[in-house]
Amino acid sequence: MLELAGITKHYRTRNGVVRAVEDVSFTVPPKGTMALVGESGCGKTTIAKIILQLERPISGTVRFEGADIATMSRAALHAYRRQVAAVFQDPYSSLNPRLRVHRIIAEPILAHERPGRAALDKRIAEVLDIVGLPATAATLYPHEFSGGQRQRIAIARALALQPRLMVLDEPVSALDVSIRAQVLNLLQDIQAEFGLTYLIIAHDLALVEHFSSDVAVIYLGRVAESGPTEPVFANPRHPYTQALLAAVPLPDPDHVLSETAATGEIASALNPPSGCRFHPRCPHVFAPCPATVPPAYPAGAGHHVACHLLKDSPA
Amino acid sequence: MLLQVENLRMHLHLRRGVLQAVDGINLHVAEGETLGLVGESGSGKTLTGLSLLRLLPKGSGRIESGSIRLDGQELTTLPEAELARDIRGRRIAMIMQDPMTSLNPVFSIGDQVGGPLRNHDIARGTALRSAVVDVLKRVRIPSPEDRLGDYPHQFSGGQRQRIVAAMAIGCTPRLLVADEPTTALDVTIQVQIIALLRQIQHDQGVGIILITHDLGVAASLCRRIAVMYAGQIVETGPVRAIYRSPSHPYTQALLAAIPRLHSKRTRLAAIPGQPPSLIDPPSGCRFAARCPMRMDQCAAPPPTVDLGDGHSAACWKLAN
Amino acid sequence: MRASWLPEWARGLPWLPLLVLAAVGLCAAIGEDMFPFDPNQLDLSAAFRPPAWQEKGSLLNPLGADNLGRDILSRIMAGSRVSVIVCFYAILFSGGIGALAGMIAGYFGGIVDAVLMRLIEIQQSIPAIALALILAAALEPGLSTVVVVIVLTYWAWYARIIRGEIIALKGRDYIAFARVAGVGTATIFVRHLLPNIFNTLVVLATLQVGQVILFEASLSFLGLGIQQPDISWGLMLADARQYITNAWWAITMPGIAIMLTCLSANVFGDWLRDRLDPKLRQL
Repeated sequence: MLELAGITKHYRTRNGVVRAVEDVSFTVPPKGTMALVGESGCGKTTIAKIILQLERPISGTVRFEGADIATMSRAALHAYRRQVAAVFQDPYSSLNPRLRVHRIIAEPILAHERPGRAALDKRIAEVLDIVGLPATAATLYPHEFSGGQRQRIAIARALALQPRLMVLDEPVSALDVSIRAQVLNLLQDIQAEFGLTYLIIAHDLALVEHFSSDVAVIYLGRVAESGPTEPVFANPRHPYTQALLAAVPLPDPDHVLSETAATGEIASALNPPSGCRFHPRCPHVFAPCPATVPPAYPAGAGHHVACHLLKDSPA
Repeated sequence: MLLQVENLRMHLHLRRGVLQAVDGINLHVAEGETLGLVGESGSGKTLTGLSLLRLLPKGSGRIESGSIRLDGQELTTLPEAELARDIRGRRIAMIMQDPMTSLNPVFSIGDQVGGPLRNHDIARGTALRSAVVDVLKRVRIPSPEDRLGDYPHQFSGGQRQRIVAAMAIGCTPRLLVADEPTTALDVTIQVQIIALLRQIQHDQGVGIILITHDLGVAASLCRRIAVMYAGQIVETGPVRAIYRSPSHPYTQALLAAIPRLHSKRTRLAAIPGQPPSLIDPPSGCRFAARCPMRMDQCAAPPPTVDLGDGHSAACWKLAN
Repeated sequence: MRASWLPEWARGLPWLPLLVLAAVGLCAAIGEDMFPFDPNQLDLSAAFRPPAWQEKGSLLNPLGADNLGRDILSRIMAGSRVSVIVCFYAILFSGGIGALAGMIAGYFGGIVDAVLMRLIEIQQSIPAIALALILAAALEPGLSTVVVVIVLTYWAWYARIIRGEIIALKGRDYIAFARVAGVGTATIFVRHLLPNIFNTLVVLATLQVGQVILFEASLSFLGLGIQQPDISWGLMLADARQYITNAWWAITMPGIAIMLTCLSANVFGDWLRDRLDPKLRQL
């Protein structure tokens, strides 16, 4: 469905070159849910922006159903935009406060076609119904809704063009716990009903495990581990994935947190460590780690781990 | 008892009406104990924390009734000057969510960590310097002697939160109010700050009120939990009782609504609707509109039912 | 003011400044033909007549008369027309040009932004009076020159502020979404950017009113602006300057008119800024 190969993105800033994304490759399977997970500044949002054509990579290709989006004609690119939609994190910043909901949802439709007034109203009522809002919501302004309802409006807008791929950038992290479940369930229902493919960006590991079918764990712009969610979470092979999972405080008073899985702090993408970027924090660091970038070793069906430890002990 | 809060009411007098932000809460913290104040945004947990120090929104915030006693001393009637001199930063200290805004970017960290010590006349001159170095050591800032002249931007996010903690514990407070101290941090850094808070508590015997929306963080740090909803405490008890046998429907719903690591991919149990407005809230149980076990009785304020072992919940279902 | 009979939107209006601005606007609108006195009528018997409340004053010239016996009140009323016309055109063009430049620089960034910003910096480093002198020499001194000078001086002020707003707006997710959905740049400008900077523009415009009036007065005072027999407040000051010792009212009265108008415009602008800010409006 969507295939990224060797995506690299650097930003030039006053303090030097930020190596935000370095040689990232992964494939999003059709009708699946791919999760990009990692800590702040790891480059996961930059990857989403590249897929959404909000940024251009300095090298690498993004293929959508086999076609390279960088070399698409204007018309093909317009068609691509029709099939790819996005839901962003902050429901306050993602809806223009000066437009009514009707106009907000109509916007993507009007960018691609010229339906009559009645047909447009009908489609808007339909997508509002899908996200569980009454048709009368269309006449109101965003500030008349709560955070959870705003996120529903954002989802309705994303659905307006009946896309095939939806990029969800932290879709629930700005919402309260009791509202999160509502929105997550809604997203799952929509996926099941319309056969959508999701790419979700999240930092909440429990959410990722619950929501995704495939996962790529990103550390400082590089994929540390990727594969189907179940084996990656059940049997994490990369020390970073292990550290992340060990660091999640569980809602269970008898769970003991591991404080030693990852020491120190994330390095700056301005000056990333040599070799494996995780090596300064890794408890298993050894000779090749600072010297060479580990390749992605296979560790089971579709499961890849970029760690030198796997060289001699493959799956 | 280190801290005893009884029937505290703090209302915000806004132009739109009176917002009953904190409405009749009771809680207590023993020496060296961590109490988790858990709730969603707007539940009043942060304003409860600020009320303890009488740091209320200027002009609109007012403590309407109730008492706050620290080591038996009543704080609600204490004159402002005395509160500032003896209590704030001295016997009750606070750690805020965002380490970037808690630190002033134009002062060196030596200045800022030394600030409370200077203000409360605890140390001066060279004694001050060594006290600052000592407290920075306690929060595990490496080689603090060399870093006193450094500014906040020269530290990483996790280290900044350590520095904020150092400012808070410098005057060896009796009670530490930590408001979402790890929310702005990444998980691998969050673990380190959780460990730091545990260690501070262990070393100093300080009582901690941990204000958080994260049930995982609360479980990993707290001995007791108080669950807040719409300005009231709906359930309180030992951490195990709350997580193993939650009794209030809201607590139950909250625990069922979060995805858990290493559990089956089942559908989450969403809580329908949203919290009520605290301007003119429902007169009975405030959770009733969203509650799956709602009854006619819920239109009246629910009684607080003692479930033994310091575990109690405010629900009609339990009273019957 | 807490008059409960007023509709909600009218409560807390800055009535006094509004009244002053309305009076100025009215004088400008009705024109000198409708005034009780001809502002250019000479009456040497009334030369240097003090205001009505002073000894030897007369109700015929309530605010006194100037060196040629012309009625000062009538001249102030007539002068308001120049102020209003200059304000209208100067604000329209400097706001329009500045906003467009700011939007383009802020939205597209990169080289466009760099070029426009350098232009703005150059513009802001040229003294306005020097620019006025050059332009007055090149063009004819007069109303249109005054407008051109003010527009050239002020567009950069708008552009700078609007650019900052646009850069903040550009980061909003609804702009990102519009781009993702394939919405055209023109639509993004009209639908998303313009409505969100409208408040700022309105406020900047009201705050500029006072500055424009002062600017016009300074230019006319220096002889670079409005020329006789046209009447402007600045010109009145210039004429009355040499008689300041024996006829203080001839220079003070138009001065007070300028001050009141500027003050009113600024107070009204401040009120509008608070009023249009949704955050301040809520509580």
